[in-house]
Amino acid sequence: MPERMKPDWTELVREHLAVPCMEDVVSELASHLEEIYDDARACGTSDSEAMRIALEQVDDWQALAEEIARTESEEESMNDGTMNHRTKTVLLSAIAVLFGVGLMLLFVDRAALLPRVVWFACIALLLRAAASEVNRLNLRIKSLWLPGFVSLTAASLLMFAEEFVLVHDPSFYFTDISLRPNHLISGLPRWFYILWLLVQVPCGALGAFLSRRNGGTRVARIVAGAFPALTMFFVCGLLIPISAFFEHDAFALSHPSGLALGVLIWAAVPAVALLLGAAPFLKGSTLQSA
Amino acid sequence: MTKRISSKIARGSGELAILSLLAEQPLYGFEIARQIGERTGGALQFTLASLYPLLYEMEKRGWVEGHWQANQAGRDRRYYRLTTAGRKQLAPLRQEWRSFFQALDSLAGVSHA
Repeated sequence: MPERMKPDWTELVREHLAVPCMEDVVSELASHLEEIYDDARACGTSDSEAMRIALEQVDDWQALAEEIARTESEEESMNDGTMNHRTKTVLLSAIAVLFGVGLMLLFVDRAALLPRVVWFACIALLLRAAASEVNRLNLRIKSLWLPGFVSLTAASLLMFAEEFVLVHDPSFYFTDISLRPNHLISGLPRWFYILWLLVQVPCGALGAFLSRRNGGTRVARIVAGAFPALTMFFVCGLLIPISAFFEHDAFALSHPSGLALGVLIWAAVPAVALLLGAAPFLKGSTLQSA
Repeated sequence: MTKRISSKIARGSGELAILSLLAEQPLYGFEIARQIGERTGGALQFTLASLYPLLYEMEKRGWVEGHWQANQAGRDRRYYRLTTAGRKQLAPLRQEWRSFFQALDSLAGVSHA
């Protein structure tokens, strides 16, 4: 190399690294070598000697390239063992406190409002924590369970809001309609139910959208969108009949049609509304989040 | 003249050395390596090959944060500064090394004369 001709450090680093590295890394390493070279030159060292001093910084370029590549690919697995600092210190602590308060309120507070607010806040924080740790979650959790729970939480929250606004008596209409579905044919229960069905549409859309965003398959998007209805099916179609059987609930057992109607009202019909909302997000390929 | 410490030991202590320096002020890679060399009398020396993988790893852990800054010479430099998480690592790391030296001292008598 002719004397006084400045080497192209960026090109040199790029060539030596052999494996593709981020341009930022190449520029930074090149800048470091250049400073060493310039320092040596400023001390009166010859060009070839300054070059040698700079290149002495790396014995094995291949090993360096591999180490840098490993560090870069560790981005996700790094987050593996160590939970996000804010999740660990803020969110999990808040969830623990709210969970404790929620449990305490179950025993000491007869009013249904405050415990519900606490539980919703707890669930919201839990979902927030899951979202901030999303890189550590596997595909099934990211594309199915998490969107499903978001959809379920939204549906529950909207039912709670509806009960609170319409009747100022949380859980009354849910209980009332469940026990006496014939109330649906007239009056406030009917409007309560219709409104609730309408709000299922955005809930289904939300679940399917999040699933698609996180790389969910079409089946995952359908399940995530219809998650609130599936949960209600589990409660009305399985949990209530099984508990009625074991508790020898004569009324429930002698009115199987009531149980079937419950499944229809709280699971089947809402499932249609949820899937209507999910429909626009069932088409097209997955959109990976940035 | 201080004897240069072997690269394995130097690398193990690298996190503490870098965090300690950055706790004082933001620095760029070349300056970090230079200051470590100078302030340890040449005993600890970081080459490009040993410094940057460590810096990138610390950055991924969220202990340090790098940002490009142009300087008057026209050469862009990537300055690293300590994050809150990095600052919190410093005290436990110092304590860990203190315990390590005490343990080594009681075993092999390596404390200062």
